[in-house]
Amino acid sequence: MKHPSEEHDLVRWIDGEMNEAERATFEERFKHEPALATEARTMRAMSASLRAHLPAEMRVPHADYFNTQIEVRITQIALDEARAKQGGTGWSAALQWLRQPWFALAGTAALAVVGFVLLYPDTNGASESVILSSFAPNTHVQARTYHDSGAEATVLMLDGLDAVPAERKVSGINIQRSEVEPELASTTMFNGQGTAVLMISRDALGNHLISPH
Amino acid sequence: MPASASTDPGEVSDLDLVKRSQTGDTRAFDVLVTRYRGRIYAMTYHLIQNETEAWDLAQEAFIKAWRALPTFKHDAGFYTWLYRIAHNVSYDWLRKKKIQGDGEFDDERTEHRIAAGAEAAPRGDLAPDTALRNAELGQRIQEAIAKLSPEHRQVIVLREVEGLAYEEIAALIPCSLGTVMSRLFYARKKLQEQLHDVYETSL
Repeated sequence: MKHPSEEHDLVRWIDGEMNEAERATFEERFKHEPALATEARTMRAMSASLRAHLPAEMRVPHADYFNTQIEVRITQIALDEARAKQGGTGWSAALQWLRQPWFALAGTAALAVVGFVLLYPDTNGASESVILSSFAPNTHVQARTYHDSGAEATVLMLDGLDAVPAERKVSGINIQRSEVEPELASTTMFNGQGTAVLMISRDALGNHLISPH
Repeated sequence: MPASASTDPGEVSDLDLVKRSQTGDTRAFDVLVTRYRGRIYAMTYHLIQNETEAWDLAQEAFIKAWRALPTFKHDAGFYTWLYRIAHNVSYDWLRKKKIQGDGEFDDERTEHRIAAGAEAAPRGDLAPDTALRNAELGQRIQEAIAKLSPEHRQVIVLREVEGLAYEEIAALIPCSLGTVMSRLFYARKKLQEQLHDVYETSL
C-alpha cells in the first residue's frame, strides 16, 4: 500500500505531468527502488498502449438508422410540446372531446350503424331492426337498435356511453383505412348537408391530426 | 475538455448549426448528430462495453441535448457540452446497473465487443503478424477494461481516451482532484495485474 502522495506522484510521472525537477527527483528513486521502477515503467507502457488501442472515434453501427431514430424522437417531442401548448385554447381545445375514449366508441358503434343502414335501407318502414355487428373496446357499452315509426328512423342506443355533446351536429361518419397499414385510418365526419365538418387522421408517427376541412 | 471535431473550411460551424437547431431546425441538428456521433458512441462504448447499450445511450445523449438546447448558452463548445451530457447518461446507466446487482463486469457482458481499434481510422498496411498482435492486444485491453468498476473505468476512459486533464475529470465526475488521481492509480494497477504478461515481458 502506497501513501496517497506516492500514488499521485506515480500517476503524474506516467502522464508526463511533472516538471523537470520533479521528474528527476522521482526517477532518482528508481536506482534504489527497482520494484518502483518496474511498476512505473510497466504502467507507462500500458498507458501508452491504452491510448493507442482505444479509439476516440468509432464507426456507429447502422449510422443512418441512428440519425433517423433521433429525428423521429425529436419530432415526437416537438409534437407533444405543441399539443401541450395548444391544450385548452382555440380550435384544438374545442375538439378535445374528439380525443375522449367515448368518441372512439361512438365512432366504432356509428360505423356498425352506417354499415347496417347502407346494407339494409329501411325503405319499407319495417318495424324490425337488427345490429349485424358491433365492436366497442369498452365492454360496458352495449349497442341496441329499434325502428321508430314516428320518426321514420332507425334509432341506435349506446348504453353505457357518455353523452355526445348536443351542439355537435355530426350526422355521418366515414372511416377510410390505409391499404398498407390497416391501423392507419382517416375519419371524416359530415353534417346533415353532407359537408365534411371534421377530419381526423394520423401522421407517420401515429399521431392524430385534426383538420377543420 | 474534449475539443470539437476538426471541420473543413467550407463546413458549417457548430455555432451556426446550434443556433438553427435552437429554432427547431431538425436538419441542422442532424448535421451535428452526424458530426459527433462517432465520438459520442466511442465514449459510451468504452464506458458501457456493450455495443447495443452504447448505441442506445449515445442516442439518448443526443435526444437529451436536443431537449436542453434552449438552455445552451454558447459559453462552452457544443461538443464539450454534448460530451458532458453523454458522459452523465452513460455513467447513470452504469450506476443503475451496479445498484441492480448485475454490475459485475465480466466477459459475458462483452460478448458483442469489437476489437479495440478495429473501427478506428486506418493505420496503414501492417504486416500480418503485427496486425494480429495489435488485434490481440486490443482485445486483451478491452477485456481488462470491462472488468474494472464503473468508477475506475470512467477515469481511464476520460484520461486515456479523451485526454482530459485531472481538473477536467474532477469537474466532470464530479469529485476532488485527489480522488481522480487515486482512482487513476488503482485503475491502472488493476489493469496492470490483468495485463502483466503483456508488458512485463516487453520491458
